[in-house]
Amino acid sequence: MARGHSRGRILATKWGMNPNSSSLGVDVTFLLFGASALAFATPVIAALLRLKKKPAESAGPSE
Amino acid sequence: MTERHSRLEAFGAIVQLARPRALVFVDRDRARALGLDAKGDEWADPRADGALGEAPLSAPLEAHLQLTNHCTAGCTGCYTGASAAAGANELGLDGWKLAIDELARRGVFHVALGGGESATLPWLGDLARHARARGLVPNLTTSGLAGLDRLLPIADLFGQINVSLDGLGATYAAVRGFDGFARADAALRALRSIKREIGINVVVTRANYDELPAIFAHARKRRLSEVELLRFKPSGRGAAAYAALRCTDAQHRGFLPHVLAAARRHRVRVKVDCSYTPMLAHHDPGRELLAQLAVYGCTGGDFLVGAKPSGALTACSFAAPPPPTPGPDGTTTRPRVTDLGTYWRADDAFGVFRTWRDAAEPCRSCTYHTLCRGGCRVVSSHAGDAGSPDPECPRVVDHGSPRKVRLPVV
Repeated sequence: MARGHSRGRILATKWGMNPNSSSLGVDVTFLLFGASALAFATPVIAALLRLKKKPAESAGPSE
Repeated sequence: MTERHSRLEAFGAIVQLARPRALVFVDRDRARALGLDAKGDEWADPRADGALGEAPLSAPLEAHLQLTNHCTAGCTGCYTGASAAAGANELGLDGWKLAIDELARRGVFHVALGGGESATLPWLGDLARHARARGLVPNLTTSGLAGLDRLLPIADLFGQINVSLDGLGATYAAVRGFDGFARADAALRALRSIKREIGINVVVTRANYDELPAIFAHARKRRLSEVELLRFKPSGRGAAAYAALRCTDAQHRGFLPHVLAAARRHRVRVKVDCSYTPMLAHHDPGRELLAQLAVYGCTGGDFLVGAKPSGALTACSFAAPPPPTPGPDGTTTRPRVTDLGTYWRADDAFGVFRTWRDAAEPCRSCTYHTLCRGGCRVVSSHAGDAGSPDPECPRVVDHGSPRKVRLPVV
């Protein structure tokens, strides 16, 4: 798992959207490249997350 | 069209990215670094920090709404048993809008709309717009055989649209029981001409397994965004056709390298459904790698829920509605999708779908068990015990067999 000293961890990334109305689909294309692909992708995801920092709306389930 | 940004969870948070499209699961420190913080008791238990998968999520990631069971296609293995006669006593637009409202209140990110054939519903666009207005992304599966004229003008409302295509030419007929390939392919071309996020859903059977590389080639030729592979399930009419159409043990064992080779050769993204997790784990790709890709087995009643055309809530689209539970007035009723918030927290909610930790061998000692969760409950149920290990998992097959098969790591 990607580990930062104080910025915490990205635990998992579920890619894409699932149009299939019968079961949960996951993108396994990364398995072609193994763990090295994640070593490349995780910093990219981290950077994209930082762009979303301080959102106007942070929503947990509202009761 | 504003999409839900994020949702707090006991382990941290889930953040939605629009480009690239992804749900990112982060621990509490990372959530704080992103400006998120607990407003209530979400992070009360320090042991839950970072423990994705240890407990059910606060709400599903996505809901699978079977808007109607009406369909004139009559496919041999239809998992809902859809028919031209169906359509009565279904929820309808107003009922599904209330369902969407409840899903939005609970923090659901996506809805997958299906049927029956939902593309023929005159109010499909209204429902998709309602979902968008509530911050949910609607996605759609269609046979492509009917309703295309209605679908094309509203295609941009959906995040992703996949057309079911279980084979090319004669193979389509062998799997579905009629020749609909040309019409489904015409729908693919028409949808792709106006939208990028178009893909193929393939229900994998022993009849089309060898043709999967050709299907990937077809997806490339049509410039589609993905191929999603679905394991054939013994549900609806599929229960009767299961023995004849389900993949063989050898096909299950060879599934992962077979599809990855096709994806690599034709440069098309590949998705697989949750029930294939035992077949992925068989090749020991690494638990951490699968965890990072959010590859989970049975996540019914956790990452996902289903709803029948009547509005009955289910753990997944293949599962029967849970047994009736006592209501506040003393009567017993089955939970409905509009009851999601209260039913979700019930002690025995979704039955065996949430008791996967009580696994028997060979699941209990399997490295991948906390991801795979025992494989597909629907297949296990068909074999006689919904709580037992998936009988088609290679590890389960080998457990009762003297032969030991070792395959190379992918």
